[in-house]
Amino acid sequence: MNPLWSNIFRKPGYEGTLAYFLGTVPTFANLGRRDLSFLETLVHIRNYNPGETVFSEGDIGSGMYIIRSGKIRIEMKDEQGQDQIQADLETGDFFGEIALTTPRRRIATATATEQTVLVGLFRADVLDAIRKHPAIASKILLGLTRVLSERLQHAGLRLREQSYAHLDSGNEDQP
Amino acid sequence: MTALPRPTGRAKNLVLFLVLSAGIATGITIFSSASTIVDWVETATSGLFLPVLLSLIVTFLLDPLVQFFERTQISRTTSIFAVYAIFLILFITLLTLIGPPNWRSMLDALQADFPRYISRVLEYLNSLLASVHNQFPYLENYDISGKVRQWAQGFLGIILLETPRSAMRIGSLFLLVPLFSFFFLRDSRRIMRNLISLTPNRYFEMVLDIYDHVSWQLANFIRGRILEAMLIGLVVWFGLSLTDIRYAPLLGVIAGVTNLVPYIGPIVGMVPGLVIALVDLGVGPQFWWIFCVYLLIAQVILDNFILIPILISRVSNLHPLWVILAIVMGGKLYGVLGMIIGVPIASVIKIAILEIRHYRSSFNSAREILTNHHD
Repeated sequence: MNPLWSNIFRKPGYEGTLAYFLGTVPTFANLGRRDLSFLETLVHIRNYNPGETVFSEGDIGSGMYIIRSGKIRIEMKDEQGQDQIQADLETGDFFGEIALTTPRRRIATATATEQTVLVGLFRADVLDAIRKHPAIASKILLGLTRVLSERLQHAGLRLREQSYAHLDSGNEDQP
Repeated sequence: MTALPRPTGRAKNLVLFLVLSAGIATGITIFSSASTIVDWVETATSGLFLPVLLSLIVTFLLDPLVQFFERTQISRTTSIFAVYAIFLILFITLLTLIGPPNWRSMLDALQADFPRYISRVLEYLNSLLASVHNQFPYLENYDISGKVRQWAQGFLGIILLETPRSAMRIGSLFLLVPLFSFFFLRDSRRIMRNLISLTPNRYFEMVLDIYDHVSWQLANFIRGRILEAMLIGLVVWFGLSLTDIRYAPLLGVIAGVTNLVPYIGPIVGMVPGLVIALVDLGVGPQFWWIFCVYLLIAQVILDNFILIPILISRVSNLHPLWVILAIVMGGKLYGVLGMIIGVPIASVIKIAILEIRHYRSSFNSAREILTNHHD
């Protein structure tokens, strides 16, 4: 076959599509193929240069970001006003998901450390989806709730461990 | 740098002259080419203004219906076709039930009647002028009736001349408006998303949020205005057809369309109906009923007490000064059509500005809370 024609008729593998990528993100793991292709129409693709700020502490946030490729550094200010690195996120990680539910200020600064492609899902589009396609939108929100509650439980457990550790050390000091 | 000789006075003048003339020449070239481009754009889009406007109106009206179908897991394109099919069936059944409206005879009758109405108005104006002249003899005699007659003749001439051409244009509207609105309905979301995605990363979230707020408000406002005009037109049509007055459907359309302009519109929309009533029916119970339909039923009861509180938010109220400015500026740009849509467009701009300001103030107050928190 003529290489020109084979190029035209070559179908991209499903693995390369945005829908497939979204399905690998834990938040959307329970979504079917149809739901994922709908989600594909909701999200925005944004490109960032190395060193570019995604959002700063105190900005009004309106949605979450998923890293398609590249790296993102999350920083928070400590009491002295110094930036403390909280996390370095990689492909498939997501951040800023708290702002998806209500408009609230960002509690950390996110910066791209290399050439990065982010997939953004924003409140305006989710609300629109709730109005127009309630079934799929509730699936998306349920996935988000699952991940958030897992995280909450994890944090609660860690807090309990820490307070026990604190009590233990307190007991050691006392005798 | 020191190798260059210092320019003498004459050389300096020469350089200055050259630079200046080059600058002026460039300016003129840019200006003239810009104005040619503007001319081209104007010529190319001159016939498109009305179809695009009507398609936007149709899009705003049909969008909720399309969304209703879409909710039942039908694709958007199919839902649009479904809505179109429903309207086509409704239209055909209406035509078969009532029969096609006799536009031809209506137009002929109007052409015959129009000079009669105008001459009666002129007579009345003349008598009014005479009485004014009697009371204030020092006023100079102003030939108002002559002006009105001239204007009316010009208007009639335009109607006679434009009728075949406007028939063609109406025919093309029947083709263009459904086509345009189909694509607006199907792709408007994608078009707007692509436009928004052009904003720089730093402002992207803010722009998306503001767009969401503004577009929602605007859609409601425009839909409300169109529904209001339609209902007013229908009520006036129905109210007038109870009397012996002619051209009730046409007067209903005029009342509905002029109702888009606040304060002045309803009064202007009343004038043709009242003139026809005065000339054909004279002052009597029917005339007062028509007066009541226009003023009391359509304006006070329906519009002020029922439609405006339900359909239109108070946010979109414009100061009367802005209304007048919008009418004048719209009229300068696009004639009668511009006068009618000038005020809604001004309201749209006002809503957009208010929403952006609201968003910014909430943004800033959140910033302040954060900085106070840190202090």
